[in-house]
Amino acid sequence: MHNSEVPLSCMALFEGGPCLTADTNFDVLMVKLKSHFQNAKGHKVECRGSRYRYCDFLIKVGTVTMSSSARGISVEVEYCPCVVPGDCWNLMREFIQSFLGNNVPELPTVFAAKPEGLFAPADCVDTMTQYLELFNKLRKLQIPGSNVR
Amino acid sequence: MEAPPVTVMPITSGTINMMEYLLQGSVLDSALESLLHRLRGLCDNMEPETFTDHELVYLLKGQQGNPFILRARRSLSHPTAPWHLRYLGQPEVGDKSRHALVRNCVDVAASHSLPDFLNEMGFRMDHEFVTSGHIFRKGAMKVVVCNVSRVLVPGNTENTERMSLSHLVELSVLAPAGQDTMSEDMRSFAEQLKPLIHLEKIDPSKQRH
Repeated sequence: MHNSEVPLSCMALFEGGPCLTADTNFDVLMVKLKSHFQNAKGHKVECRGSRYRYCDFLIKVGTVTMSSSARGISVEVEYCPCVVPGDCWNLMREFIQSFLGNNVPELPTVFAAKPEGLFAPADCVDTMTQYLELFNKLRKLQIPGSNVR
Repeated sequence: MEAPPVTVMPITSGTINMMEYLLQGSVLDSALESLLHRLRGLCDNMEPETFTDHELVYLLKGQQGNPFILRARRSLSHPTAPWHLRYLGQPEVGDKSRHALVRNCVDVAASHSLPDFLNEMGFRMDHEFVTSGHIFRKGAMKVVVCNVSRVLVPGNTENTERMSLSHLVELSVLAPAGQDTMSEDMRSFAEQLKPLIHLEKIDPSKQRH
């Protein structure tokens, strides 16, 4: 997985398993491994959109496309000064409520599953895990009137 | 073992295929000091750099004959530095008169979750070793003089045993594919180190049993 916030990095995750952060040469290595692994065709998911900054908040709104067909809209909100999700979750909920109305999500499972202390490290592992969950949800979603590949 | 499905990202344009040019030799411990002295004179003027690294070699056995080999290396002298993952391809068989061993090389810096990640992918650790020594540089050429130690208990890098009473010397260059002039420069540099050490092209396929 790639994130434009960290353009020179490449993340590789196993769901519920280890996550690797590497540099962009990792893509080259994955191509070399092509003969040993089954290539999941047509499953490239991309989220593209705009990035906004409002005081201490960073908001990214994007369209999620899977193999060039739109599957949904994603909203990412980051409260930059705080690294402890438990402490600022209520503030973030209020902020999200101001523009999303009552569609406010629960505290993400990545943070709920962490032991007491709930520290979010600076690398993108938690962010990418959340995106992975979102993409998986959207992959399973059936669009009425079309075949799911 | 079922291979997990993997999504492959397209390679962005501008990725160059890097090749590693390599010459190897060895020197007995008794001759080490004279070699280091000569290298200090021949190579670029810089603070002599020593290193201690722990390398793990992972194999992925596929259905086809040759297993896929990946080398994961970490520094024992800088424990917080990222891991270095390296893939080395088959040596290029081409010009027999080419003086150095040429093979495709992919280097990736990785986070500390690398061993767990490789295990999850299906790679199994084949062997590990600890190397420590000196590194010199001359332009694009890198000379590494190191001793190799066997790790006695897997995972325990404190308990090691020297494999032999000599040091391994490697002269290598990383260059984009197509630049063949490097092997000439390497050969002339190797000439300057004779008769202290005889650096030559070694065929890795003859080494595996």
